[in-house]
Amino acid sequence: MFKAWEIFLYPNPALNFFTTVSRTCLVVLYLGFQTVDGSAGLAPPQQVRLDADKETQTLSVTWEDGHASTFDVEILRTELMEMVLNETVGVTEDQSTGKHQWNWTSPVPLECTSLSVKVRSRDGQDVSEWSSQQILPGLDLPDNTDSQMYPEGKTVPVGSNMTFCCIVEEGQQFGSLWYKDTLVKENMLSRRTYATTMTNQGPSNPSGTNVVCSNEKKMIIAGAVVFVGYPPLPSDLVCETHDLTSVDCQWSKGRDTYLFGMTRQTYYTLNGRNCPKARNSNMRCGLEQWDGNWTLVARNLLGEFRLTDAAELGHRVRPVAPVNLTTPEVYSWNASVGWLWKDKGFERLSLICQVCLSGHQTYTGYGLNTVVLKDLQPDEKYSVKVRCGSQKNFWKWGEWSLPLSFQTKMDRSVAPDIWLWMDSDNLGRVLWKPLTKSESHGQISGYEVILWSPEENSQQTLTLPQSVYSLPINVTDLGSKVTVTVTARNPAGVSLPANVVIPRYLPDAEDTAISKVAFNGSGFPLSWVAHANASCGYVVDWYNTSCTQDCNVEWTRVAADNTNTMVQSGNFFAGVRYTFSLYACSSESTVLLERWHGYMQELVPSRTVLRLSPNQEGADVQLTWDQIPLEHQRGFILGYTVYLTNASHLTLLANITDPQLTNHTVRNLVLGSYKFTVKAYTAAGEDGGATVSISLEPYTYWLIMEILVALGTMTCLLIVITIAFTGFSFSIFTILWKTMPGTGLICVCFQGTLDVKPSPHSMVHIVEDSVWDSSKEALVTVPEEDEEGTGDEAADTDEPASLRYYNQVVEEGSSSQRRPHASDSSASSTGSMDSGHTDVTYTGIQTSACYRPQMQSASCPEEPQTGPEEHLQPPVGSFGGYQPQCSWKQDSPEADGDGLDQTCLGSPTSVTSSQFLLPYDTSEEGKEHPSSASTWFHNLLTGKP
Amino acid sequence: MSGHVKNMCPQLTISQAARTLLSLLLVAAIDSVSAGVVCRKQPCGSSLQRSLKLTKLIHKESVDLLKTYKLSQGDMSELFCQMSINNVPDPNISGLDPSERMLSIYSHCKAFLPHLKRVTEQQTDLQPPSCSLLSKLSTAHNRTNGLANQINCIYQTLFPNLPIPPEPVDGPTSVPPSQNVFQQKVYGCVVLKRFKAFLSRVTRELRTLKSQVCTRRITFADTNALF
Repeated sequence: MFKAWEIFLYPNPALNFFTTVSRTCLVVLYLGFQTVDGSAGLAPPQQVRLDADKETQTLSVTWEDGHASTFDVEILRTELMEMVLNETVGVTEDQSTGKHQWNWTSPVPLECTSLSVKVRSRDGQDVSEWSSQQILPGLDLPDNTDSQMYPEGKTVPVGSNMTFCCIVEEGQQFGSLWYKDTLVKENMLSRRTYATTMTNQGPSNPSGTNVVCSNEKKMIIAGAVVFVGYPPLPSDLVCETHDLTSVDCQWSKGRDTYLFGMTRQTYYTLNGRNCPKARNSNMRCGLEQWDGNWTLVARNLLGEFRLTDAAELGHRVRPVAPVNLTTPEVYSWNASVGWLWKDKGFERLSLICQVCLSGHQTYTGYGLNTVVLKDLQPDEKYSVKVRCGSQKNFWKWGEWSLPLSFQTKMDRSVAPDIWLWMDSDNLGRVLWKPLTKSESHGQISGYEVILWSPEENSQQTLTLPQSVYSLPINVTDLGSKVTVTVTARNPAGVSLPANVVIPRYLPDAEDTAISKVAFNGSGFPLSWVAHANASCGYVVDWYNTSCTQDCNVEWTRVAADNTNTMVQSGNFFAGVRYTFSLYACSSESTVLLERWHGYMQELVPSRTVLRLSPNQEGADVQLTWDQIPLEHQRGFILGYTVYLTNASHLTLLANITDPQLTNHTVRNLVLGSYKFTVKAYTAAGEDGGATVSISLEPYTYWLIMEILVALGTMTCLLIVITIAFTGFSFSIFTILWKTMPGTGLICVCFQGTLDVKPSPHSMVHIVEDSVWDSSKEALVTVPEEDEEGTGDEAADTDEPASLRYYNQVVEEGSSSQRRPHASDSSASSTGSMDSGHTDVTYTGIQTSACYRPQMQSASCPEEPQTGPEEHLQPPVGSFGGYQPQCSWKQDSPEADGDGLDQTCLGSPTSVTSSQFLLPYDTSEEGKEHPSSASTWFHNLLTGKP
Repeated sequence: MSGHVKNMCPQLTISQAARTLLSLLLVAAIDSVSAGVVCRKQPCGSSLQRSLKLTKLIHKESVDLLKTYKLSQGDMSELFCQMSINNVPDPNISGLDPSERMLSIYSHCKAFLPHLKRVTEQQTDLQPPSCSLLSKLSTAHNRTNGLANQINCIYQTLFPNLPIPPEPVDGPTSVPPSQNVFQQKVYGCVVLKRFKAFLSRVTRELRTLKSQVCTRRITFADTNALF
C-alpha cells in the first residue's frame, strides 16, 4: 500500500521538493485517520472455507486476510438457526500459506443437518465485520429423500458418549428412536432430523449395538450400528526356542475387546512382523531367528498396546519332543532306551531328561540320547516316553515324546509261599499262594511238590498244574519229621524251593493256651514273645474256628526280628470266630507257639441255648441247658441271664458270668406255675432267650404220711370210743352229731372211676384259712391260661368248685410243644384228658368248702414277689399252701351241661371233691426224697404201671 | 450402562455338528454328482425325488438359518426382515409349463448364490470365527449350488431340446454395492427370508413336477411300447 502511494506521488522528478513535503503531509494525514477510527484496521476474514471430515465429525474452517490472531467463530444449525457454537479462538496465520485454520469437532454427526459458519477478527475489544456465512450442507436436504441414520459403523471405547441422528424420509413422520431395545428421548435438529445422545456406553454384542429409528407407524426406517469395546491389553509375553534357532513367543490375550470381525479385531505384530496365526486363544507368534529382544504390538481400531521381552538363547531353551524312541537292549530286569533329536543342536547341549515309566526318572548328560532303565520287572509290558530340558539354565521341560512300548524278558519265579494245614497227626494239606504277576516273572506252567523225610530217607514227588494251589498229604509212612518243598516252573526255569517242616497237629485246647484278640478296625493285632527257634521267622495262620473240613486257611509270614503283626484279610466276616495260630519256623521244625480267637465283629447269638429243662428239687427248680453251638454263638459267650417270665414281663433272677456254667437253681419257690427264660449274651447283647415252664407240685410223700397218721388216729379213736361207750354207742353218736354242727364231712363224688369231668376253670376253689395249716398242706391250682386267671373272680365267688391238678411241664421255647389255644380250655374234659402233657387229672379235694366256699380275692397278691433269692410267689392265678384262690372263672357251657357235676358241686351240705389235697413240703427231708412215694401214688391214680 | 454383554451369536453345539454331519452324509452323493455338472441318466422319478429330498433338507436348514441369523444380529433384529431391500431375488417361481417353471427354479438357485455368498462375507466380518451362523451360511450356499446342478441335469434329461439360457430367465439381481453395517444386517435378513420362502415353493413345485412330468413320460413311453 505504501508503495502504491509512492508510485502515485512521483509522476515527475521536477517536483521533488513539493513532493517531499506533500508526501510528509499525506503520511501525517493518513496516520491521523488511523488514530481517529481504529476499526478501519481490522478487515473481516476473507475466503472462509469449510472442510468436513465426517468420519471424525471434524469441521475445518480456513480463511485469509485476517490480520489478527484472535477470531470469533459462530456456528448455527442452518435450518432452525439454532446456535451451536459461539466462541473466540486464537488462530495464528500459517506463514507458508497465509491462511488461518481452525478445527472443530462436532458432537453431532456432520451429516445430520446443515451448519452455517461465520468468522470475524478480534483484537481485544475491536472486532471486524463478520465474514460471509458459509454453509456445510447436511444430508437432510430435500433432494436427499431417503431415511438415514448417523453415525454408522463407528467403533468407540466403552464409556464414551455418542449422539445419533435420524433423518426421516421426505413425506414420513418421525416415530421414535431405539438404542438396543430401549426407547430413548429424541431432540429435533431440523425438519427431518432427530437426534439422541447416549452416554457411558457399555460393550457391544459381537455384531455391534443397534440404534434404530422408526416412523409413526412403528416401522423401522433407518438404523445404525455402533461397536463399543476396548483397546487391546495383552500381557505375559514370553519368548523361547524349541530348536536353538527360531523364536516362539506366547502371550495372554488379556481383557476382551468385544470387537470382532476382520475390521475390528485385534492384530498383532512381533518385531514389526505380522502374526496372522494369533487368533482366539492361540496367542503365539514365531520368528525364524533369535533376536534377543522382542516387541509385541497389539492393535485394534481403538488403540494399541506394546509388550516387550528380552533373553539370551541359552536361557530360554524348551526342546521339542525327542523322536524315534527305540529299545536297543531289553533284559529281564533292565532295558535301555534311545532316541533322536530333529535338531542337531541338542546333540551338543547338556540335557536333563525325564523318562516316564511308572513314575518319573530323571537322567542328565551331554547330548543325552540313551538311558538305561533299571529295576524293571521280568515279563512286564512297559510304555515309556521322554522329555528333556536344558541342564544349564533350565527353562522348561520340552514336549513329551510319543510313547514306546516294550516287554521285558522272563525270569525264574520267586519261591512260592507255602504252608501246611494238618487235620490230624498224619493227614493234612500243603497249601501255597498263587504267584502274582510280579512274582511269577512269566507264565507259570506248574508246581512240583516234594515230601521227604530225612529219618526214613524217603521222598515223594508230585507235579501239579498251574491251577492247583493245595495238595492233600498223608505222612503216615514218612516218619515224624517231614519236610515239604514246593517249586514253581515257568518258561525261564524252576523257582527256588520253598520248604516247611510239617508242624505237629495240635487241635484247640491242647497244650497251648488260647487268648482272645479283638479286631481294631483294620485287622487283628497280634503280639508275642520272641522265640529263640524262629530262624526263618514266624507264620500266623487263621481259619474259621467252626469249620471242620476243607477249611479256607490263610496265613502270613512275619520276619524273625518282629514280634507283632496285624492280620488283615478281605475274608473276615462279622459274627464268625477265627482261630489264629502262631508258629515259629526254622529249618528243623515248625512249632506252635500261641493261639488266639477273635471276631471281626461280635454279634448276638443267632439261636438260644439248647435243651433248657427245669427240674424240681423240693421248693427249688434247677434249670439246665446246653451251650449254643459255636457257629451260632457269633461272639464270645460272656454268660447267661435267667429270667422269670410273667406274660411279657421278664424279671431277672440271675446273671451267670461264667459261660461254662450251664445250670442254675432257683430257690424257695412256692407252689405254682413258672416260666423261666435263659438267655446267653455276648458283647453285642443277649439272644432271643429260651423259655421253659414248670408247675411245682406238693410232696405226695407228706400227704400219704398225713393220711396214714389221720387214719391211724381215727382208728385208735374209734377203738377207744367203741371200748368206752359200747353200750351207748347210738346215743353217743346222736349226741356227738348234735354237739358238733360245724364239723365238716368229706363227701367224695366220683364220676365213674376217677374220670371226673373237671371244672372248666380248674382252680382251687375252697380254702378254709389263708394261714398255713399243716394238716391241709398246700393246695395248688394250675390255671390253664395265666392271662385269664384274674378275670372274673367276683362273679364266680359263689360258684361251687372242683380242683384239677395238672402236673405238666411245657417247654415254651418250642412252639410245637405249645397247645393250641382251644385245647387249653379246661372246660373240655376231653381236651384235658387227651392232652399228652396232662399226666394226672384229679377231681378236686375239698374240705369244708362244700358248704362254705370262699373267695378272698382281696388278699391275693396282684404280682408275684420277684427277686432271685426271695421266697417266690407263683404267677397270677396260682397260690401256694391254702392260699385263697383269686382266679377262677365262670364255668364253660360244656361244664354247665353236666348234671352230675352240678349236683355234686351245688350241694350245700355235702362236699364234692374230685381232687386230692397234696401237701406242700418245703423241708429238706422232702427234698431229698422227692419222688419215690409220690411217683408210686401218681402211678396208682393214673393207672400207670 | 453395565458392562454385561449378551452373546447373541449362538455357538456350534455338538448336536448341531452331528446333525450337520449326518446331513452332509445324506447328500454327499448328491453333491458329489452335481458338483461337476456331470449328469447321469437316471429315471425321472428318482432324480426328481432326490432333488425333492435335497430341497426339503435345505428348506429345513434355512428355517434354522434364519433363526440363527436373527439371533446373531442383536436387538430389534426381528424387525429387520420387514424392511424393504431392492435387488434381492424374488422367491416366486414363474413360468407356465413345466420346462419354464423348472428353468425358473434353476435360475433362482443360481440367483440366490451370489447373495448368499455376500451375506457370508459380510457376516464373516461381523461375527467371531466360532459363530455357527458362518458355517450354516456356507452350507446353505454349497447345497443350493448342488440343487441348481441337479435341476440342471433334470432339465436336460426331461427337455433335451430346450437349452438353458446363460443368464437367469428372471433377470439378473446383482449383489448390492457397498453397504454400511446396518444395511448389511437388513440385507442378510431379507435374503435369508426370501431364500426360505423360495425353498418352500420349490418343494411344492418339485412335487407337482414329479407327478406331472414323470407320469406323462411314463405314459408316453408306454404308448410307444404299444406300437
